[in-house]
Amino acid sequence: MSLRESWFIARARHRFAMTPECALLLPGVCAALADPRQPCSDDTCLEKLLDWFRVLTRFDPTVTLVQDNPCLTELITSVLALPEPSPSILSFTLRLAGILAASETRFQHLQQEQLLLRLFGRDGPLNSALWEDASVRSGWVAGVHSMVHHQPALRFLCNGGGIDVIFTLQGDPSLFVASAASQLLVHVLTFSVESETTKPLSTTDRDWPACAQMIIKHIEDSLQSSSASHIEQSLKLLTGLFDSCRAMWTKVLWLRIAKQIKSFLTEETVQAQHMLANLLLKMAWSPVFSDTEGSFWALVTSALEHLTPVQAGPLAVGVLRLYKCPQDVRVQALTVLLQPMDCILRAASQPLEYAGLLDESVSDPATVESLLSSKSSCASLLCQTLAHLEQLLSLIHLHVDLPYASLLRSLMAILQFCNGFLSPASPLGSTISRILINCLRVQKSALDVLAALSEREGCDALIGSLFDVLLAYLESPNTSPTVLKKAFQATSKWLVRLQGLSCSNSQQQQTEKILEDVFLVLQKRLCSPSWEVRDSSLEFLTVLIKCLRDQDEFRQSLLSSEVPRLTENLLEDPESYVRASAVTAVGHLAFVTYFAPESPVIGSQYNKENTVAKLQEILSTDSEGFPRRAVINIFTKWLRQGCTGQLEDTEQFVSRVIQIVEHDLDWEVRLGGLELVEVFCSKTICQLGHPKCPYAPVLSTVTSSIHQNESLQIFCRAKLFGFLFRSLCDCDKPLGQRACDILLCLKSNFYPFGNMEDSQGIEDSPPGPSIAWLQRTLRQGSLAQNFPTEGGNGVDFQDPESMMLALGTVGLEDLHDELNRCSDHVEKSPQSLLGDILATVGTVEENEADCY
Amino acid sequence: MPEIKVTPLGAGQDVGRSCILVSIAGKNVMLDCGMHMGYNDDRRFPDFSYITQNGRLTDFLDCVIISHFHLDHCGALPYFSEMVGYDGPIYMTHPTKAICPILLEDYRKITVDKKGETNFFTSQMIKDCMKKVVAVHLHQTVQVDEELEIKAYYAGHVLGAAMFQIKVGCESVVYTGDYNMTPDRHLGAAWIDKCRPDLLITESTYATTIRDSKRCRERDFLKKVHETVERGGKVLIPVFALGRAQELCILLETFWERMNLKAPIYFSTGLTEKANHYYKLFITWTNQKIRKTFVQRNMFEFKHIKAFDRAFADNPGPMVVFATPGMLHAGQSLQIFRKWAGNEKNMVIMPGYCVQGTVGHKILSGQRKLEMEGRQILEVKMQVEYMSFSAHADAKGIMQLIRQAEPRNVLLVHGEAKKMEFLKQKIEQEFHVNCYMPANGETTTIFTNPSIPVDISLGLLKRETAIGLLPDVKKPKLMHGTLIMKDNSFRLVSPEQALKELGLAEHQLRFTCRVHIQDPRKEHETVLRVYNHLKGVLKDYSVQHLPDGSITVESILIQATAHSEDQGTKVLLVSWTYQDEELGSYLTSLLKKGLPQSTA
Repeated sequence: MSLRESWFIARARHRFAMTPECALLLPGVCAALADPRQPCSDDTCLEKLLDWFRVLTRFDPTVTLVQDNPCLTELITSVLALPEPSPSILSFTLRLAGILAASETRFQHLQQEQLLLRLFGRDGPLNSALWEDASVRSGWVAGVHSMVHHQPALRFLCNGGGIDVIFTLQGDPSLFVASAASQLLVHVLTFSVESETTKPLSTTDRDWPACAQMIIKHIEDSLQSSSASHIEQSLKLLTGLFDSCRAMWTKVLWLRIAKQIKSFLTEETVQAQHMLANLLLKMAWSPVFSDTEGSFWALVTSALEHLTPVQAGPLAVGVLRLYKCPQDVRVQALTVLLQPMDCILRAASQPLEYAGLLDESVSDPATVESLLSSKSSCASLLCQTLAHLEQLLSLIHLHVDLPYASLLRSLMAILQFCNGFLSPASPLGSTISRILINCLRVQKSALDVLAALSEREGCDALIGSLFDVLLAYLESPNTSPTVLKKAFQATSKWLVRLQGLSCSNSQQQQTEKILEDVFLVLQKRLCSPSWEVRDSSLEFLTVLIKCLRDQDEFRQSLLSSEVPRLTENLLEDPESYVRASAVTAVGHLAFVTYFAPESPVIGSQYNKENTVAKLQEILSTDSEGFPRRAVINIFTKWLRQGCTGQLEDTEQFVSRVIQIVEHDLDWEVRLGGLELVEVFCSKTICQLGHPKCPYAPVLSTVTSSIHQNESLQIFCRAKLFGFLFRSLCDCDKPLGQRACDILLCLKSNFYPFGNMEDSQGIEDSPPGPSIAWLQRTLRQGSLAQNFPTEGGNGVDFQDPESMMLALGTVGLEDLHDELNRCSDHVEKSPQSLLGDILATVGTVEENEADCY
Repeated sequence: MPEIKVTPLGAGQDVGRSCILVSIAGKNVMLDCGMHMGYNDDRRFPDFSYITQNGRLTDFLDCVIISHFHLDHCGALPYFSEMVGYDGPIYMTHPTKAICPILLEDYRKITVDKKGETNFFTSQMIKDCMKKVVAVHLHQTVQVDEELEIKAYYAGHVLGAAMFQIKVGCESVVYTGDYNMTPDRHLGAAWIDKCRPDLLITESTYATTIRDSKRCRERDFLKKVHETVERGGKVLIPVFALGRAQELCILLETFWERMNLKAPIYFSTGLTEKANHYYKLFITWTNQKIRKTFVQRNMFEFKHIKAFDRAFADNPGPMVVFATPGMLHAGQSLQIFRKWAGNEKNMVIMPGYCVQGTVGHKILSGQRKLEMEGRQILEVKMQVEYMSFSAHADAKGIMQLIRQAEPRNVLLVHGEAKKMEFLKQKIEQEFHVNCYMPANGETTTIFTNPSIPVDISLGLLKRETAIGLLPDVKKPKLMHGTLIMKDNSFRLVSPEQALKELGLAEHQLRFTCRVHIQDPRKEHETVLRVYNHLKGVLKDYSVQHLPDGSITVESILIQATAHSEDQGTKVLLVSWTYQDEELGSYLTSLLKKGLPQSTA
């Protein structure tokens, strides 16, 4: 166990411990839960109670919990004695009993009380009318799952016929119960094998523990049965097993069932191909089957051949992601994925003008062709294939070579089928183009792959025609906003790629032309009546500036277009999302215009002061949080990049901004203000050459203190301290935390040698009355009171001496710990939960029916 | 047989987070995507892993439909679309699309503020999610794809709330979301046409209750606020940014105007403006009264309600403050509560549901000494009131909606099991339709009996009416014709037209039957006996004895041969056309009885 883990555990143990207060409340809670006259407790309360018991029992296997709190067993007894307990209480009791019985000692205790048999045995709810309720069955399964962690519980389950109940529950009408039952069988099988065997297992029965034998026999019988649902259940169980357990015995188990599984591939009567593919995939990922010589891989190859492309797709992509895998399997998997793309390419251009994606000798395109020519399957096959290709392309290490250029051609063909730009004469081509026209799903998937493909080599020759396709999408009024967003994403990625290409003269011309076209279309899109389109366009522009602002051609094209002007206009958009995106875009545009070291176009239209004033106006007057948040983020970004001018200008700028944001109603804007302050502080200290700054020359103590004074004076003049101290008491916790961090940082700068007593100059002066008041207020204030308005009790937040004193004397370290303690520990504590359950006793139920 | 499958992942026998999966004619639709505010881990969202075991969500689901902006119906949407990875279409009404992000953003801020959680959606995710939403108008038929169409109906409940009809071919489902069958102060009553869906999925929050008029609750609310203010106390009303807040604002505004009250009313979040903007923008969605008065004065331009500043909380004298969040678990409402809780003259009115653990929940359950952070104890002396203003249909309303839509089956969601059980019986008794109430994770399958519309050719119609009585709506009439299934359409035409259209030749079909008769005579003598017998029995028919030895009765032909092995037995071969089916059958049965002795 790592140090971090043990720290977490210690913390959880402490937080969720059974305190004397809790132990005092628990009997009342148990009595209330068992009382049928009381309205049933809110189900979240019951869930949270179980969470608490899970933590309590996890760290303590002893019997103390149940012995010291007999009310727990009394609760179980009382619920069992009820003639008609409510399903939710019974389900809760089953789960609670399971959690308690998870340790052997407590299991024995409950056995002595003869409770477990009455809960989980034949005489329990299993044979009562309440079993009809899914929550009771679910509680039973969950209870057994928690319990089976030791031999006596396993024997109890197997000898009492519990396993048969679980077999039945695999086919439960409730998805939740059926799935839980399947997981439980996996758990029981694994536990049985791993706790009851000492020597390696063989395929014969006698080596296997009794309980494991029962389950395996059940699996084998089900696989041989004629019932499709039984086969499916067993496949699901096996999938869960191979997914979670990577022990060698699973291979032995596989040998027992391999033949039967193999037969499913060829028998058309069995309709569980999806599950079969999923099972093989989980197995392929298990290190147990990593031996490439085994018959298992032959089965995978055969599955990839026999299953339909839709069924085999997930298996194929899963196999291709493997580091170690036989080459022929990889080739087969690749064939599955590339065949639809190859087919598209061939349909788009007959005779094929360039290389296809697959060697014709390995692929039999008939099935794929028929799927692509059918209206019902074409889009879904393509979407699935494209999603898988995107998954593959997003891997950093791809262990397989993809024919990127042909793939790109195929993608372009798909996109052109979809927007009607390509309708080939070939029968297959014309059928596909008719099916795909205006198909949004396929367009989106294809654009996603296109974006991912920009990271790969080998497509540069096609870049011109690729931009033709992309621009057609960007320009067309028929492009839906969601597709347009994806088209923008793909375009930005390929533009970055385009800029990275080596610059020949013709290429430069091509780049300029493309950029010109892109900005032309962007101009149009920025004026779209749909806010979604305007917003995506602004986001696109911001991404472009972020990535390409150092490129001359890019800057030239951008600044000679109407885009900057239109972007500024959108600062007044009626839609707040758009205003916020416009703020971000304008903020980034500044890096290209007036913040650029050698701005290519300097004219009156790019006036820094105007922009700053405009953004400040938004910050102080916009009725919505998004644009204001965007402004403060941009200001912080500017400051961080040193764009706000000389120190003096920056001081004034920061001071103005703080005065605007400190009264903002949106706490995230105020938090943004604190971030700005933080950057300003570190910049100032760094600039004035404090030794803490790694790049600054080492200064003597004398100059250091002068500089300290200077920076302190700057901070006071900029009115930082009022904002920081007030934020400590903010009703929104993150502000207090951030302000405290900043103040602590300042303190360590101004008191580099430790506490106030050690520093020169102020050691003799005790905290003045106003600072004492500040201390007092902060001690109580962050907890109960609001920080009073300006200058309360005479604290002068602009007086450097007072602030130096405040930093030295206010107990910031304690405050920091207090603020960082999980703010809702009261709300989440077990005591609060128990108190709440008790408080609802006797209240009317009416409140619960309400909802929001 | 075609079937509709419904699986609730949430709202199955509970009032938690609505999320219902419907499969209809091969299409899969998710109805609502709600969040449970009572949890702060994964349990707050529906478990989407159950939607499909194989393949991607986007490939499996054809669309998601959101009924209204309450978080228990839309709160998991950004999680589903931006974190789980659903990338398909999402539909909601225009007001819902406008208001939904405000509530999601409000809740995100509270969650992040209070719990410092990281596994929650961000502002950017909310925006990206909303950009994927397709907004729909009421009664507009929206084609999701070639087969699947949806249509929204007015549901009352909250601004923009809609019921949705989902239709594939002739099969349809109506999902009500939350609805209200009685108009309230600012919204109208739900309405749907007689669309006779195969299945109506209805909420059943108040399945067993007949609710008193909302007016009483409103009067009570105003009385309490008025009394507190009169005695100089302060009233705190914790609310979420939008919804109930606007409703109560209208109430107070009108009351203040009428009573000429001077105590200030504040709204604390700065969201009022935006919220009211939407109420103004979507005025057509509000009720008639508001729409009418809109010309003189906009109800949502409040004269008495002002923006709140933190400093006002310390002002002396009475005031009313609306503050967020609604459960008193963080931020401004909690801060004001702490300031005011100690004074018995003050009052807090909780107008909505509070989850366990929150201060709101604690004071509603009667706790008066609350442990706050730092082990401080806050003594609550102020008055605490709970008032439910939620606008759901009560038992009467639900029955009324069923009467209105005339569904073939009903399925109850969004309610408690016990209450549902009661309503289920009532529905089955009164409407003689099946009523289901699946728990979460349980699938209900409903078999549908598709009614397929068929066009009938004018010629055939004329011919049929010419020979029969005049058409009558109340009396169904049997038509004979040939059904042509072509290009996804069905047409009933006359056989001649069908042959002509399809270019087929007509074939005559004859039925044949062999009847054995014991008769030792020669064959031609047997034939003669048969002829005489038939002539005697079938007096109204033309019975002929042909020269080749065969007999005809209308189109029926009878020939006799001797049995190859037994000369005493004669085999009569009877054959007839489809038109004389009845006569042919009668004749064979007659011959099977044998020939009468007298003709011998």
